[in-house]
Amino acid sequence: MGLNHGGIPHSIRNDGEVRVFPKWIGRRRVAVFQAIISVLPLLLVGEFASAHAASQVSGPATRSLTDETGRLVKIPSDVKRVVSLAPNLTEIIFALGKGDQLAGDTDFCDYPPAAKKKPHVGGPVNPNFEQIVALKPDLILATSINRRETVNALDRLGLPVFLTDPHSVDEMIATVDHIGNALNSVETTASLVSNLRARLADLDRRLIGTQPRRVLFIVWTDPLISVGRDAFIADALRHAGAQSVVDTVEEWPRINLEEIIKLQPEYLVFASAHAGDTQHDIEALRARPGWRQLNALRLGNIVVISDAINRPAPRMVDAIEQLARALHPESFHTSSSSPATTPQPIEEACACAR
Amino acid sequence: MRPLTVKRLLWTCGALAAVLLACVVLALKLGAVPISITDLIVNLGRIAIGQSDQLPTEYRLIVFDLRLPRILLGILVGAALSVAGASFQALLRNPLADPFVLGVSSGAALGSILMLIIAPQIAVLSPVGAFLGAIATITAVYFLGRRDGQLDSTTLLLGGIISASFLSAIIMFLMTTLAGRDLRGMVFWLMGDLSTPVPAGLRWIFTAGLLIGIGAIYTTAADLNLLLTGEREAIHLGVDVTRVKLVVYVSASLLTALAVSASGAIGYVGLLVPHAVRLIFGSDYRLLIPASALCGAIAIVLADTLARTVVAPTELPVGAMTAMAGAPIFIYLLRRGLR
Repeated sequence: MGLNHGGIPHSIRNDGEVRVFPKWIGRRRVAVFQAIISVLPLLLVGEFASAHAASQVSGPATRSLTDETGRLVKIPSDVKRVVSLAPNLTEIIFALGKGDQLAGDTDFCDYPPAAKKKPHVGGPVNPNFEQIVALKPDLILATSINRRETVNALDRLGLPVFLTDPHSVDEMIATVDHIGNALNSVETTASLVSNLRARLADLDRRLIGTQPRRVLFIVWTDPLISVGRDAFIADALRHAGAQSVVDTVEEWPRINLEEIIKLQPEYLVFASAHAGDTQHDIEALRARPGWRQLNALRLGNIVVISDAINRPAPRMVDAIEQLARALHPESFHTSSSSPATTPQPIEEACACAR
Repeated sequence: MRPLTVKRLLWTCGALAAVLLACVVLALKLGAVPISITDLIVNLGRIAIGQSDQLPTEYRLIVFDLRLPRILLGILVGAALSVAGASFQALLRNPLADPFVLGVSSGAALGSILMLIIAPQIAVLSPVGAFLGAIATITAVYFLGRRDGQLDSTTLLLGGIISASFLSAIIMFLMTTLAGRDLRGMVFWLMGDLSTPVPAGLRWIFTAGLLIGIGAIYTTAADLNLLLTGEREAIHLGVDVTRVKLVVYVSASLLTALAVSASGAIGYVGLLVPHAVRLIFGSDYRLLIPASALCGAIAIVLADTLARTVVAPTELPVGAMTAMAGAPIFIYLLRRGLR
């Protein structure tokens, strides 16, 4: 049929007169008639939809919590089935020893290994609502990487969503505390929180008087993406005695390499689960024109830390310690003289700091 | 091609409505969570006799609060885009015209995004912005496509494609400079996504707007038939061309705007569905419009069901499905039509 409409419709071939309809049906009347017919099935099905308003989650004893964005969340006093919508929340649940109450998590929840075996509900940005509903959660944990539309949709379904919003290391610890509270894990939470706080305080003590290192934290090399001033990673860098040379309002800014060459950071910081791959990447970067002009790269001032720094979860403190040791080795030489004051990293954390 | 009679019109629409209904039942059944067809029928029966409170909670949430609203939205969006596409094709006498190709979808998307940036609290402004964007774009493209006072088919399409890429560039610019939590979801929306339901307050306004738009275009169906033979010929045959054009441009823009603000830019539906309908049922607009509406609804419901199930529990944007399925079907229909 190509680029024409297939010719003039048959009905108007004779004198342009429309005559196939009986006389008693005017053109307009046909229109209305047909519109009604084509719409009828829609209206019928529409009836079903309107019959079902928002559902009520009924259960035994409930309690109300205020989440980190000020929303009121009603959950059972005894939460049994949690769905986590982000890897860091999954890690927090396991760190609190509540892994058995985790009913489902996302495709990206890979730590601890047991998280991979849980039923998945899709990615954090577009989770599958059906799957979430099918898991019958009595609490859903969400965070700022989830879309607001996702949270709104779950609200509409009458499912309780506790929204976390950590933007710093301290807020991450507060999130651990809030989740522990929601899961009724009083003692484990208290000891985990105090362990994390003590380790950070120890770092602060050691780093007193040191000059923060000017670093470029590299989230991604192609295109070059770093962290903005409000990202939790920027705060983690500060705890490790480092200062990002990038200072943007945007959380994950795309950076122009020229700008970095002008700023000449003292160190490049990579986060990786597999140090070998990163080494390979770094060799490749060395050969590239712009990157060669970075003194840090030429001098080999490169630190590869655990990718735990990418997730606001307890393991992040391991990565902070790792970075602090790499950037300020002098502050840790004395550490062996006072081992009693150094709190031990938590067990799970040790396993990952490879 | 047989002449169009009321009987044939009713039979065709009735048959298509039955197919649509079957697709709806299929779409209700399929999804990340398996549901048996007998279960579904039993529960639909329970609802029909007013015992909806006996349904299990998860079941009701999944089938009636998640799948059904999404299917209904798909029906409305598919019908709107197909009818808009069919009308643009008649008005511009260009079979390649489509809200997506002409840049009208991009204009609506930009208008909608601008309103979300200016007044994110007032939900109703987003479709209004989309409508203004759609109208502005089709006006601009119409004038871009004129040469020596005549619509030139190639110039028109080029104008549409250039407008679309210009508007998309502005959208990219806005999304990069205003990158924040609220605009991030738009990446999905821009690709065409039915997973975000229309806010409850807007649902009936949407439905009414779409029905009025389709109805208004349908009142001009016979005139559109004559317009296809040429503007001058239509005037000689007594068609009030100015009025018809105004009604159809405004209505088609309204349909596009509502569809885009509800589900983003779902491409190819407006192009493919009217073509398929024309090849199967002929090009009489009195049949083409209702048949396109129904077939568009069927197409989107099926495409979205695929998008929900292919890599479940992860979901694909329905726009990706329509684009992927659209091109091969288009080529097939084209080849078959040529033979």
